[in-house]
Amino acid sequence: MLVVSNIDLTTNVPVMKPSTFLHSSIRDLVLNVNNDYRYMKIGYYVSLHAETLGNSVVPASEDIIDVNRTPILLLRASKAGIPTLPYLVTDSVKQIIASFDFPVIVFPVNPFSYNGFKIAKNRSALYRAFKSLSMNYKYAVCAQPLLGEMISFKSIFGKCELDQSVREISEKVYKIFKIPIYRLHVQRVKGKDYLCGLHPLKVEEILQTDVKTISEEILQALQGDCLG
Amino acid sequence: MAKIACFVEKYNFSDSAEVDALQNFQLVAGRMGHEFSFMFKENISEIPKYNAVFIRATTDPLNTSYVVSKMAWELGLNVVDDPKSIQICGNKIHLYSLFEKFNIPHIPTIFLNKDDFNHKRILEIFELFGRPVVIKAPYTSFSKYVEKVACETSFRDIAKKFFRKSDVLVVQKFMPTSFDWRVGVLNGEVLYVCKYMMRKGRWKHGAKLRGKPRFIWGRTVSLRKEHAPLELREIALKSCEIIGQGLYGVDIKEVDGDYIVVEANDNPSIYAGYEDCRKRDIYEKIIAYLAN
Repeated sequence: MLVVSNIDLTTNVPVMKPSTFLHSSIRDLVLNVNNDYRYMKIGYYVSLHAETLGNSVVPASEDIIDVNRTPILLLRASKAGIPTLPYLVTDSVKQIIASFDFPVIVFPVNPFSYNGFKIAKNRSALYRAFKSLSMNYKYAVCAQPLLGEMISFKSIFGKCELDQSVREISEKVYKIFKIPIYRLHVQRVKGKDYLCGLHPLKVEEILQTDVKTISEEILQALQGDCLG
Repeated sequence: MAKIACFVEKYNFSDSAEVDALQNFQLVAGRMGHEFSFMFKENISEIPKYNAVFIRATTDPLNTSYVVSKMAWELGLNVVDDPKSIQICGNKIHLYSLFEKFNIPHIPTIFLNKDDFNHKRILEIFELFGRPVVIKAPYTSFSKYVEKVACETSFRDIAKKFFRKSDVLVVQKFMPTSFDWRVGVLNGEVLYVCKYMMRKGRWKHGAKLRGKPRFIWGRTVSLRKEHAPLELREIALKSCEIIGQGLYGVDIKEVDGDYIVVEANDNPSIYAGYEDCRKRDIYEKIIAYLAN
């Protein structure tokens, strides 16, 4: 198994830099570890290149695209049995107001925003959130009702340091999409957790303890030559 | 009877030839006993009510159209353009990687990634392809984000601009021709053939005039598909085979008697009086494919 990563890992395992891998024609199972799996960023192109070479790769380029589009993430997750709340993809504020009570969470569905979501507690806050995330009414947004509290956390190979219920969602999301590193947003409603969204991490968000966890996971994967 | 949703955005109704084509689709679908409704962004949640989705809004994995395509696909509907085709055609790095892998004759191409973007590499590229070269952003469509550069300064300016969105760019040899063949393909069969002419003094089918906000296009000359060269049709079909079984528009250059693929596009333009000029049955064929 070949590990391609832009992160300086603590393990002694040989790691190839993404730019070197993009020039290579190595045939092997590829583990692509990157802090940023956004579409058209280097993490995406590593998976795409591996697939073009005919290699099995984690994560797959299609999954990279899908997790970054909130409605698709939610649709695929709910099909796989992960609890999700109702959501609406729309370019109309009125439709959101007609569908959900306040407060609502708004996620972007545009080609430029990846970071975060906005919570609107009233009509004027929703208009502001909508204007910003739809890039001046140009793109659609994905709205969900906010029925409980939002929990956002780092998930590394599906693992996180939270309670059992959240851990289960994190593990299931990894099982379906196989994205090694990301920030997951979950909503806790009356003790039950629901998947809301997912975002890439900035490189400075990856702490030394995270690097250690990532390195250990990679070592484990190499020993078993399998990826979950 | 099939219920077909045609996903469109407001801009699809800004050109009368496109509006006419959309109306033709609706008329033909009705005549064939199917229901054909336009679906806008605010109606996306209605996807499960339909049997098929036909996307006419511009496709890109980052656009709402991809969300529509993928949602419909996941729900088991017939979709044109399907998500896989959007992923491949919407990213030219993906497309040319497959052309390379499956030996589809295409314009000499290299990929430039951000880490290799330096003086030495630029000189190597000029030495390899000569000057000028063409830089393409992977998300190019409708002749946009494709620029010709002849010196290092312009190369740097354009590449920097395109690198904002993508970490890898396409650089190609400049091969000017007076027209590009456009071969429309559906489900592994040639649907129509036309020539996209370049405007005088231009090297792209579509170009922006200095000081004008709108794009202007060269003429479209339609011809009977049976009259198009066999080799041209075969290359078009071969290049679509590696993408999928959907609806594509393949751009091909004819250079010294050889056919060289420029691009294979999903979501090809279908304008009344242009692509459908010699083959009025393209509407029936697409509707039948969706309703199947």
